[in-house]
Amino acid sequence: MQITVIVALALLVLTAIGFLVGRRRATRVASGQPSALHSLPSYYGYYIAIWTGLPALTLLFAYGSFGSSLVNILTMGELEREAAPLIRAYEADLSESPDYQTLNEALGQIETEIEATRNALEQARQARGPVDGYQRDLGELTLDRNDVSDAIENLREQIAFAVAARAPDSVAGHRARAGFEYWRARPDRRDLFIADARAIAFQEGFPSRVTPTLNAAGAAMVPWESLFRWSFAGAALALAVGGLTWARGQVSAGFRARNRVEGVISIVLFATSVIAILTTLGIVLSLVFESIRFFAAIEWRIHEFLFGLQWSPQIGIRADQVGQTGAFGAVPLFAGTALITVIAMCVAVPVGLFSAIYLSEYASPKFRSVAKPVLEILAGVPTVVYGFFALLTVGPFLREFAIFLGYEDAVTQSALSAGLVMGVMIIPFVSSLSDDVINAVPQSLRDGAYAMGATKSEAVRQVVLPAALPGIVGAILLAVSRAIGETMIVVMAAGPGANLTANPLESVTTITVQIVMLITGDQEFSSAKTLSAFALALVLFTLTLLLNIVALRVVERFRERYE
Amino acid sequence: MADIEFLDTSSEPRGDTLYHPVTVGYETKVATQGVSVRYGEKVALKDVTMDIPSRAVTACIGPSGCGKSTFLRAINRMNDTIDNAQVSGSVLIDGEEVNDRSVDPVVLRARVGMVFQKPNPFPKTIYENVAYGPKIHGLAGDRDQLDGIVETSLKKAGLWDEVADRLTHPGTSLSGGQQQRLVIARAIAVNPEVILMDEPCSALDPIATARIEELIDELRENYTLIIVTHSMAQAARVSQMTAFFHLGALVEYGPTEEIFTNPRDQRTQDYITGRFG
Ligand SMILES: Nc1ncnc2c1ncn2[C@@H]1O[C@H](COP(=O)(O)OP(=O)(O)OP(=O)(O)O)[C@@H](O)[C@H]1O
Ligand SMILES: [Mg+2]
Repeated sequence: MQITVIVALALLVLTAIGFLVGRRRATRVASGQPSALHSLPSYYGYYIAIWTGLPALTLLFAYGSFGSSLVNILTMGELEREAAPLIRAYEADLSESPDYQTLNEALGQIETEIEATRNALEQARQARGPVDGYQRDLGELTLDRNDVSDAIENLREQIAFAVAARAPDSVAGHRARAGFEYWRARPDRRDLFIADARAIAFQEGFPSRVTPTLNAAGAAMVPWESLFRWSFAGAALALAVGGLTWARGQVSAGFRARNRVEGVISIVLFATSVIAILTTLGIVLSLVFESIRFFAAIEWRIHEFLFGLQWSPQIGIRADQVGQTGAFGAVPLFAGTALITVIAMCVAVPVGLFSAIYLSEYASPKFRSVAKPVLEILAGVPTVVYGFFALLTVGPFLREFAIFLGYEDAVTQSALSAGLVMGVMIIPFVSSLSDDVINAVPQSLRDGAYAMGATKSEAVRQVVLPAALPGIVGAILLAVSRAIGETMIVVMAAGPGANLTANPLESVTTITVQIVMLITGDQEFSSAKTLSAFALALVLFTLTLLLNIVALRVVERFRERYE
Repeated sequence: MADIEFLDTSSEPRGDTLYHPVTVGYETKVATQGVSVRYGEKVALKDVTMDIPSRAVTACIGPSGCGKSTFLRAINRMNDTIDNAQVSGSVLIDGEEVNDRSVDPVVLRARVGMVFQKPNPFPKTIYENVAYGPKIHGLAGDRDQLDGIVETSLKKAGLWDEVADRLTHPGTSLSGGQQQRLVIARAIAVNPEVILMDEPCSALDPIATARIEELIDELRENYTLIIVTHSMAQAARVSQMTAFFHLGALVEYGPTEEIFTNPRDQRTQDYITGRFG
């Protein structure tokens, strides 16, 4: 068993002992008169238990979170120091290589030309002169530049290989080579290198490859790792025992154990809520940072992203687009999302609202007690099941029906089938929330309407619904935000094509579908294509956040009015 | 206390009634005969028989839970809106049976208005609140007529001067006392014959209460009012007849002055002197 697990168990046992010790001690101090104590004896027990367990467990937790990164940093620092001769040799060889100098000069020249051509192109554009020639030149220059960069990279690779071969075939040599390899690697490669080394050394998952350098790096980690493990384990145990002893010494009849314990409880609760908030914040920040990387990759043409009409992240469509980043105009996605959401709402709002009205105003209590839970079961159906339903049942049916009506181009994956099924999925949200707000309308308003001689439907239409309207609007907004964020149904039923269309029988794509498609399959998280998923996610997040805020505000207002 | 002319004391009282309304100078507007109401198993009102005079204020008093509200709701069939309520017995308004199958409660409630304990203006403008009844009952031929109804109703409710320049504001924007007068205006806009008021002042401060009491006294000229109140002083101030309910039964009913100065029943005596409640 892992030493940390054993220590954690030992700490729990110590904590329990601390509790018993505290309670015993308190009773002893009070000499059989519990009323002489400031707090109940068990509070003294809790107090000592907290001092025994909390600091030690915190230390152990800190080790669990940061211990391995510490080991990695120390190990790789050590190896890089041992690689110093290799690094020096490599840099010397590189600077002495005539090819390297020629290539670098060529690269510099091409960069200058690119800059000049781009300026000329910009001027021609502003002057509304011919731009085709410039664009062709720019395309060719870009290709040239890529060639030269590749050549430089190859040369570096060769020299590095030659330098590494000069290290001896001993343990020290492997360690130096490992440090050298790590030093040369790009950041994401470095992470992979460490992950592989750890996998080899500690059987943490499967290494993507096994090389002598990785073996050496892994072996170098082992002593650090065990040093940390044992010292942290020892420190945690010592801390627990120390805490127990110290806290036991504190116990006296006048000691305010209850207040201390309450204080600790409130701190712990506060800490957990902070964790929840920080996690959310972390997610948002990571979205923001990745989006910034994306916008940098498309050269800050944010307006093009937000208002561009062409979405094809795979292919470069214009020759002057540097690095062939593809077209990132997200309007087709926004439009597709909007179309499907509108269709879904056309289903969910009437059905949900009317069933809520029926359940809260018309149905007998007996029917209500059966129907309401049944309706809420709809909310529990996994969305992937709805997806199946849309793809295998509703889609083909709609297609057949459209063909029958004479629309020959109908497809199975259409906005309509996804929207309809999503609408069904959202019905319970609308109905359950509306039902709540309708029930919150005070009975006195209904009585007032009935007493005026209103019929049931008049009372509902003219008094109850207007009174509940803000709450219902809030419910609908929440449902909209739910529809916009829904993924599985649209992935399965709406199709992948980024068509900009208002025809519900065509296949459209949504923000969520694109995020799924961009991120799955491609592991490299640095291309503009993959990064665009984060920008889309940011848009999605902002949109739903705004909707939720507005919706909750509206509902809140409504509550205030009737309380 | 309002003046009561005692015309004829020879007339026989009906049921629990010690004085026939005729004896106090009014004709009977609402006559109940053996009215009982059950909510499921619970009997809330037991065999109540009383004659309520027209163009007068009849106050219903009694300890909490004794069935006063239930009695009021029996008159305009509001108990129909409660799922488990069962009403038996007969209620006659101008000699017409209210509980008859052929009577449409919608039409009945146009004749019998009701004002509740908590002011409950609809989520509409002040104008629309008052115009609501005339609209659903089709009382106004055109906009001008409707404007007229709204204005006279608000005037009768003594609210016109305060809201004339903000008829398009929401009804809920008024103060509690104004809201209560608004719902009274709403009730009289359909020109009912009977107005039921269930503790109309219990949510109001003394000044607003005085305003409503004044209003009740004015309305007496044209309407038959039945009000439930927990305030003995209020009952004594505004009503001509008083009915004392206890545990679902009508214990004593008679001219207010009589009830307050010379109650026949020990329980009435105890209640009005505050010995139980
Ligand atoms: N909807 C209902 N369902 C079941 N029981 C009810 C219902 N409404 C009233 N009751 C019961 O009927 C009895 C009479 O109620 P009612 O509201 O008529 O009393 P009240 O005299 O108006 O009391 P209060 O002065 O507190 O308003 C009470 O015991 C009450 O619990
Ligand atoms: Mg009541």
